[in-house]
Amino acid sequence: MKKKIITSKKKKAMASLLKKKTRDCLEEKVRQQTDELKIRDGQLKRGADREKLGADREKIAQEQIHIRTKAMESASDGIFIIDAKKPDFPIIYANPAFYGLTGYSKKEVIGQNYFLLYGPNADMHVLDEIKQIISQGRSFYGELLKFRKNGEKFWSLLRIAPVRDTKGNVTHYVGIKTDTTLMKQRNLEIEEQREELLHVTRVGKLAEFVSSLAHEISQPLTAILSYAQAGQRMLKDREPRLREILQYIINDDQRAAEVIRRLRSLLKKNKPAFEPLDINALTNDTVTLIMPHITAKNKIIKLELGSGLPMIQGDRIQLQQVLLNLISNSLEAMEDSKDSHELLIRTSLRDADTVMVQVKDSGCGIPQENMKKLFAHFFTSKPDGLGMGLSISRSIVEAHGGHLEAENNPDRGATFYFTIPVNRDNKL
Amino acid sequence: MNTKNAIIYVVDDDASICKSLSLLLNSNGFRVETFTCAEEFLAFKYPKLQSCLVLDIRMPNINGFALQGLMAQRGIITPIIFITGYGDISMSVQAMKAGAIDFLPKPFTEKKLLNAITLALSKSKVLNQKQTEIARIRQRINTLSPRELEVFQFVAQGMMNKNIASKRGTSLQTIKIHRGRVMQKMQAKTVTELIHLAQKAGITSSID
Repeated sequence: MKKKIITSKKKKAMASLLKKKTRDCLEEKVRQQTDELKIRDGQLKRGADREKLGADREKIAQEQIHIRTKAMESASDGIFIIDAKKPDFPIIYANPAFYGLTGYSKKEVIGQNYFLLYGPNADMHVLDEIKQIISQGRSFYGELLKFRKNGEKFWSLLRIAPVRDTKGNVTHYVGIKTDTTLMKQRNLEIEEQREELLHVTRVGKLAEFVSSLAHEISQPLTAILSYAQAGQRMLKDREPRLREILQYIINDDQRAAEVIRRLRSLLKKNKPAFEPLDINALTNDTVTLIMPHITAKNKIIKLELGSGLPMIQGDRIQLQQVLLNLISNSLEAMEDSKDSHELLIRTSLRDADTVMVQVKDSGCGIPQENMKKLFAHFFTSKPDGLGMGLSISRSIVEAHGGHLEAENNPDRGATFYFTIPVNRDNKL
Repeated sequence: MNTKNAIIYVVDDDASICKSLSLLLNSNGFRVETFTCAEEFLAFKYPKLQSCLVLDIRMPNINGFALQGLMAQRGIITPIIFITGYGDISMSVQAMKAGAIDFLPKPFTEKKLLNAITLALSKSKVLNQKQTEIARIRQRINTLSPRELEVFQFVAQGMMNKNIASKRGTSLQTIKIHRGRVMQKMQAKTVTELIHLAQKAGITSSID
């Protein structure tokens, strides 16, 4: 159920992305044309001291105004102009996109005080802030929650800039507003997915940690219990006081064991939810989730996704967790070296029954002495690491019937790769 | 339980576990040998006694399950009691399927351990007897000539004398003589008994 919603949301997000692209295209065109015009304008001005002015110039000016007006009319962002000389800031121009965005008609907008358009539900603090900024002749830039005429909420990215006359006095304000609702929604979805994954990872880490801890503690508890019971056996009927003390030791040992047992059953791993998966889609989704980190760290991620790969059977969240873990490890490995930027993720068919995912970095590589311990519990080469990531990843991959391995690249960096058996029921 | 003729092996990479179990089982009258890794255990010269192995699952290099496999390969018939700090159900199922006597999550009480050991030793006794018997049959088989062994195998497959004769291209009389000697050397009074012996020794492989 939840999944269906996500895919339909995804479709919506795609559509909005497409819309945004065409919008960007249009904007780019308008910008180019405006630039051309500026250049031509400049050329003309230079030629203006000659006598070739007159009607020609007039005509060109007309044409310019026409194109600029047309461009504003065609823009998909809402554009409006406010008269700054009048005390009630009336709107003297708005383009069709503005009407579409706000839901108000031309009649309702033109001559209207701009701030009244926000409706009774608007956040007065924000409005006051905007008023203050523009009354000082400064620009405003911000994202606000707004209401259409019908009361519908939408997120608007608003930019208001003063327009000055030749003397520098503010005569007008020009505003541009963009509907960012869909973009915000998409970001929110990505954020939610990332949160979900992080939660699963945290719970997984905790469970694995408790399990390891339980093992470490149950070892001495076993020894203590056996020593105490051996002692009792040796005393037979002698030293009743001592025998009693040994019994206390035994009882408390078992109490400790019970605590551990309960703790362990509390954190029992959820059964993985296996479903047919497209490894390329999974890879793409995972990369989307971590993209902000990659760009923030100034790295590039390259995808080489094999075509026509068969479906696999697996738990989406768990496999994403593995991939995410490998990618963030690689990013960390490349952190220190300034000249390594590229991270390569490759999906391929290893043989007829196995799909392989490789994560190849150009970082510092793995020291030979760490190779063996790499997947062990609590082994870490990071100062703040827990040493759980790779060991959990390996147990996830193995639960899927695959293998997770690592090797150093011949040139530089390391490659981590895992295999997953092909889902035989759903071969393409 | 007769503890004199029995030996208990403990394999656990934790030296404290080895020592404490050794003391506990000693105090119950058992002879105990402990090993902190599978390799050490495999290198041990096993005395011909009832025995059982108390085996930890998680160990570096060769883990408990791997040792179980190696023992099966090498014909070491000591029954196994698994002990582990990671007690999950799937693991215990795996262990029991592979023929373990019991699966004890750590820490376990003396009582639980002794119950499992009693069970394991009685199984060991049966297994030892069976092994001795097989060894005895094998010894008799070793006294057969190649031709007699061949006839023995045919008879074990349930072939009639004349069929064996035609297959071998020899006379019925010759086969009868061979067969008589096989019965005598194998100390079998009837053909049924002979077939039983063949089955016990695993002699059913056909020649063609």
